[in-house]
Amino acid sequence: MIHKIRIASRGHEDPRGEEVLRDIRRLNLGNFSDVKTVKVYRFEGLAEADAEMFASRLADVDEFYMVNEPIRNGATTVVEVAYRPGIMNPESASLMKMGSDLGFRTLLAADSSMEYHFFGDIENKNVVVVVDRLLMNAAVQHVVTEEPKTLIITATTPPAAIVPIRDLDDEALRALSKDTLFLTLDEMRTIQGHFRDVLRRDPRDIELETPGVMWSEHCCHKTFNAEIMRNGQRKTPFMTRLKQTSARYSRGVVSAFVDNAGAGEFYEGWSLCGKVETHNKPSNIDPVGGAATGTGGVLRDDECLGEGAKVVASSETYCLASPKTPSERLPPGVLLPESVYRGVVVGVGGYGNRMGIPTVLGSTHFHDDFRANAVVIVGSFGILPTARAKKGVPQPGDLIIVAGGRTGRDGIHGATFSSGETTDRTSLVNSGAVQIGNAIEEKRLFDANLVIRDKNCIRAKTDCGAGGLCCAVSELGSQTGVRVDLKKVPVKYAGLSPSEIWISESQERDVIIIRPEDLPTVLETYKLYNVEAAVIGVITNDHQLVVSYGDEIVCDLSMEFVHHGLPRRVMKAELKNESFPEPQIPLYREEDFVASFEAVVGHLNVASREPVARLYDQSVQGTSALAPFTGVFNDCPNDAVVLRPLLGKPYGLVLSQGLNPILNRIDPYWGSLWAGVKAMSNYVAAGGRIAQGEAFLIDNFIWPFPDEESLAALDEAVDACVKLMHVFKLPFISGKDSLSSTYRGHGMVIKIPPVLCVSMFGRIPNVMKTVSADFKRSDSHLLLLGRQRIGALGGSVYYDTLGYVGNRLPKPDLENAPRVFDTMHRWVNEGKILAAKSIGEGGLAAALAKMCFGGDVGAEIGVSSHLHADPRHAFFNETSGCLLLEVKGEHLGMVQELPGLVRVIGKTSPRRAIIGRQNLSESAPTLFSIETDRLRCIWKQPMLEVFGHAKEAA
Amino acid sequence: MQKRPPKICILKTDGINCEEETAYACRRAGGDPHIVHINALRTSAVSLLDYDLLIIPGGFSYGDDVKSGRILANELMVCLVDQLLRFVESGRGIIGICNGFQVLVRAGLLPGFVFGQMELTLAINSGAHFEHRDVWLVCEESPCVYTKGTPPLIIVPVAHGEGRIAATKMVLNQVEAEKLVVYRYARADGKWAKSSEYPANPNGSIHGIAALCNPAGNILGIMPHPERHVDQVQQSNWRRANIERPHGLLIFENAIQFASRF
Repeated sequence: MIHKIRIASRGHEDPRGEEVLRDIRRLNLGNFSDVKTVKVYRFEGLAEADAEMFASRLADVDEFYMVNEPIRNGATTVVEVAYRPGIMNPESASLMKMGSDLGFRTLLAADSSMEYHFFGDIENKNVVVVVDRLLMNAAVQHVVTEEPKTLIITATTPPAAIVPIRDLDDEALRALSKDTLFLTLDEMRTIQGHFRDVLRRDPRDIELETPGVMWSEHCCHKTFNAEIMRNGQRKTPFMTRLKQTSARYSRGVVSAFVDNAGAGEFYEGWSLCGKVETHNKPSNIDPVGGAATGTGGVLRDDECLGEGAKVVASSETYCLASPKTPSERLPPGVLLPESVYRGVVVGVGGYGNRMGIPTVLGSTHFHDDFRANAVVIVGSFGILPTARAKKGVPQPGDLIIVAGGRTGRDGIHGATFSSGETTDRTSLVNSGAVQIGNAIEEKRLFDANLVIRDKNCIRAKTDCGAGGLCCAVSELGSQTGVRVDLKKVPVKYAGLSPSEIWISESQERDVIIIRPEDLPTVLETYKLYNVEAAVIGVITNDHQLVVSYGDEIVCDLSMEFVHHGLPRRVMKAELKNESFPEPQIPLYREEDFVASFEAVVGHLNVASREPVARLYDQSVQGTSALAPFTGVFNDCPNDAVVLRPLLGKPYGLVLSQGLNPILNRIDPYWGSLWAGVKAMSNYVAAGGRIAQGEAFLIDNFIWPFPDEESLAALDEAVDACVKLMHVFKLPFISGKDSLSSTYRGHGMVIKIPPVLCVSMFGRIPNVMKTVSADFKRSDSHLLLLGRQRIGALGGSVYYDTLGYVGNRLPKPDLENAPRVFDTMHRWVNEGKILAAKSIGEGGLAAALAKMCFGGDVGAEIGVSSHLHADPRHAFFNETSGCLLLEVKGEHLGMVQELPGLVRVIGKTSPRRAIIGRQNLSESAPTLFSIETDRLRCIWKQPMLEVFGHAKEAA
Repeated sequence: MQKRPPKICILKTDGINCEEETAYACRRAGGDPHIVHINALRTSAVSLLDYDLLIIPGGFSYGDDVKSGRILANELMVCLVDQLLRFVESGRGIIGICNGFQVLVRAGLLPGFVFGQMELTLAINSGAHFEHRDVWLVCEESPCVYTKGTPPLIIVPVAHGEGRIAATKMVLNQVEAEKLVVYRYARADGKWAKSSEYPANPNGSIHGIAALCNPAGNILGIMPHPERHVDQVQQSNWRRANIERPHGLLIFENAIQFASRF
């Protein structure tokens, strides 16, 4: 018997209902007069009286409840939205705990859902649209039309099968691979050959799934390890280039490219670590769930570096189409960009906030060609003792433990799926690849693991990410051999087949390798923290991957075949540069200039994302020393953040990022250099130091499917990364490639602009020696540091406002940049800089405007005399590596230190306007004047429309 | 010779996530903090009565499932009620910050007219979302022992999705009559911010209530995070206006002083 409890507010206040109504009205979805929400709980196995008692405990004082009765409030239509049967609702476990604390011994299962009560003169079709667009994601949720007969999730076990592969022809091999393995015909033939010629038997299904997972692009980076043929020339694989160059600048590096994250030295025996990941495919199908599990995954990567790190910060970076993209522009089966944006923000924030990890670094980049494949980049940064930061080495006899969440049928084929191209069938065929994250499960796992680490019990560890246990266990045992029994893995429900347990990507699981004598300590600690853990196998010394289900062997493959059976690819690359003609810019007119200035500052790629950032906890852990936003109204974005990961110590962790998809599309080499230099100028704007051993880089290549053309672009981007390392003597120490962002279907091919995202983390000895971007005074001087590449407006926001792309790129000044950054760091240390901002999208115009907003002051600029006769070239140029500085008059001697590379361009003023004059004398003719209060509204409006509080958006 | 620093119990369970900075704040203020897992209290490995002050820190205990703090409040009042009652009866103090405040309200310890009876609620923010920002708080005259001698206007961050005090007129009148409002959200000029004054009042809380105490003044619940402002550099605008004595530290110093009585 299932008891159904409904709980609703006694009063009129229902912020969730009001929000739905606001969205309905904003999107014009029908003549609704009101929306109310009612929370629904279902309990199976409870006595009637216990259900009544439970209900009274669930309802707040301002709420009332009904047991097994509907709430009648005169609504026109009531719709209940719940998780689909079989998808684990994270709230269920908490309900079971509460029932157990209350002593309800007969409680078998619990679930929760939401009723929406719609009022007004509405038709059913309006309701359907509202539910589909605003309230439900069909990949994981459904509208409840009949009462469930049971809440207990069961599954039926598909029979373990032998797959007769030895005699299949090419067509049959292709069919076998399609939609599940995503392997190429050559790879299928390799597997076939291994079984036919070496093992002389047919594989069990799990033995086919294992290479399918291990050889997926997601797990073994086939492209990055391939030899590249470019114009008939053989080039070293991308990975080799990156690793070999990185090794030349390895001072302070603790772990590079060998573990789940990269690590570099901090102070007093501590190290910092970082990892940045993408989670694009799932986020495009279920933005909330996809972004949440992506966040959970990257946090586990940091948590599983060496013996385990404490995660102290996270980042969120998105590439999307404009939230205003009309649905006609979208291919069938693709979610609206606005829904994706709102969803991923909820997913990332919901997960990070629950974990108690400040989400401090972020940006969003808009381009129409992200409409079929949005990009979600999440990062994680942590700290751990240097002595515990090396990758662990399992020894024969060690025990293999799986700890954390239980294994279910979720996320099956996530690894292979994310490596394939997107088609309109993607959302139909593969919704099993989407799952619901449970941050609290991960939080208690992290808490317990740090205690276990400090008790010296971790030999090695890794998390279950893509490829699940298959990938984690195979990797941990790659040098020795393993034997695991899948029957010992804790499962969410009965009926999973061995193969499903093996490749399930259920979240929040770590695999830990320990010495047998440490088992009691480890299990006791997990118990204290309410973490489930089980011994599932041992490390052997026979170099075989042996998997059983109870007594039955279901997989017996050599580690050699699993890890090295895949032949190295040779891939052809040929660059066909898309040509974007350089436009003739119109003649200068003041009124056009002011309009352009406003359009640039209000452009999506410049607009304030403060309403997004507010949804994240940015000060939890108490470590903030340079917050993401500062200033009189706390609305001025800083280019980097600084944290004190060791409370009470002065040491700072500095974080920054740089990327520019549009420049990457015009020229993948210079676009990538631009991104790297931008990350660095962001880093030094806060006071960070660009020097070997002080800062470390992470690369993320998010690319269209690597056809010859995209592969050539990738080749250029990798060469750019190599160049960056040589010029700045900084190593990349971790990275990830995601090479599948091409959409194919309905006669359409949409490739995303290639994205190289460069992330940086590093150390400074004293957080007091840092600067924020908000102007501090109204009588100070403004300096432009670095050399603008005048005339190069290609790919700029300004061009975009005119409908141009162009091809003259604002290439960074690589020759002088190291000296410029070094001097900047010294000036910050000498206390000479009041405020600083790096120049990027929107150019000097955007930087100056944001700094004015921060200080609630204005500025006067000597345009013609100190910048350029055409203000557009001065203000809209986006050369990376340039910075705008605020300094006191007494420090103006600074300009002598870098002749030709720094100049005074104006001053701050109490009048809230940006005024351009011919020169800096007060009598000089005014070229333009822009009121900053109005400009601020223009700058804030775009994101307020999507994310703003009801009172702001109005 | 100074007496030993008071022992502070910082409660930990699944989803609580502000325990370390709260412990740091206690140490900065001269206390001896211990992070204690609720399971250790339930198995009687340790007793609440071994400590001089209980702090329930911020976070998302049990994921804030059902309602923020609901599951933990239930656990405290069902599984640990004896220890808790003896702790409170001894006159020792409890501070609940953010999620801890939500727990205290749902456990019926605040405003605490009758032990264990829930009187009001911390409902979902009027904006319907989690929100993080710096807020000004104006200190009211109250029996609260932790705010004696602190500045009339302080700045600390809020970070929550369910912080809107909602109560019946009757309860609200009693809260006001007994002067149990410790802090109200305020504008930068020091005037308290009504429920409609977003963003000064970030969640739409009635009468701008940000913190409450019990009539005895030893139990405090506060939505904003004083433990995130115990060092200068933690305040986001320390470069603009340096607050020499960080506002949150003053509250913790009072708490340690109060705890050292026991």
